[in-house]
Amino acid sequence: MAFDKKSVARRRFGRRKGCRFCADSDLKIDYKDVRTLKYFVSERGKIVPRRISGNCAIHQRKITEAIKRARNIALMSFTSKRTIE
Amino acid sequence: MRTYETIFIIRPQIVGDEYTALLGKFKQILADQQAEILRCQEWGTKRLPNLVKKQDQGIFVLINFVAANTVVKEFERRLRLDDAILQFQTVLLEHGLDLSASTESTDADEDDSDDEDSDEDEEQE
Repeated sequence: MAFDKKSVARRRFGRRKGCRFCADSDLKIDYKDVRTLKYFVSERGKIVPRRISGNCAIHQRKITEAIKRARNIALMSFTSKRTIE
Repeated sequence: MRTYETIFIIRPQIVGDEYTALLGKFKQILADQQAEILRCQEWGTKRLPNLVKKQDQGIFVLINFVAANTVVKEFERRLRLDDAILQFQTVLLEHGLDLSASTESTDADEDDSDDEDSDEDEEQE
C-alpha cells in the first residue's frame, strides 16, 4: 500500500529524478528567463518544492531567488493568471 | 566598480519622442556619473501579469552598466522620482556580464503564456 502511495505522489508532476542543473552545466538560472522558471512553479503560481522538482539544495535556492526576482519586476505572477476580459 | 543590471518598466502611454527622450535622460544620468553602459535592451510593450500602479501593460527596458555603488543609489532615486516609471529593479552581477549570452525574446514568452491559458481552460471544463 505504502509503495503505491509513493509512486502516485511521484507521478503527479511527472519529473525525472535528480537535479537537471547539476546534470547539465550549460543550463543557467536567470530571473529574466521566465520560460525555464515556469517549470518550477505550480498552476497556482506557487514555487514547487524540492522533493517534487528534484533540484539539489543549491539550485533550488537559486531558482527560488530567481522566481522572486521575476515576480518583483512583473515578469511572473504571484498567483495564478489573472483573467482580463 | 561593479557590474549592475537594471530593469525598469515605463508607462505604456509614453511613446515616440517622449519615450526616446525618457530613455536618453536615464542614460545621461548614468553617463554623468561616469558609469559605463554595457548594454541597453528595449523589450517593448508587454502585458504585465498583475496590475502595477493600475497599469496592465508596460514597456520594459534593460540596462547593464559598470559603476560604483553610489551611482546605483542616485540612479534609483531618479527612477523613483519619475512618474513615468512603473517599477524598477537593480541586480548586482557578481561575475560581470557575458555579452555573448543573450536573453530570450519577449514575444516568445507571451506566446507561451497564451498556450498555457488555453490548457488551463480545458482542464477546468
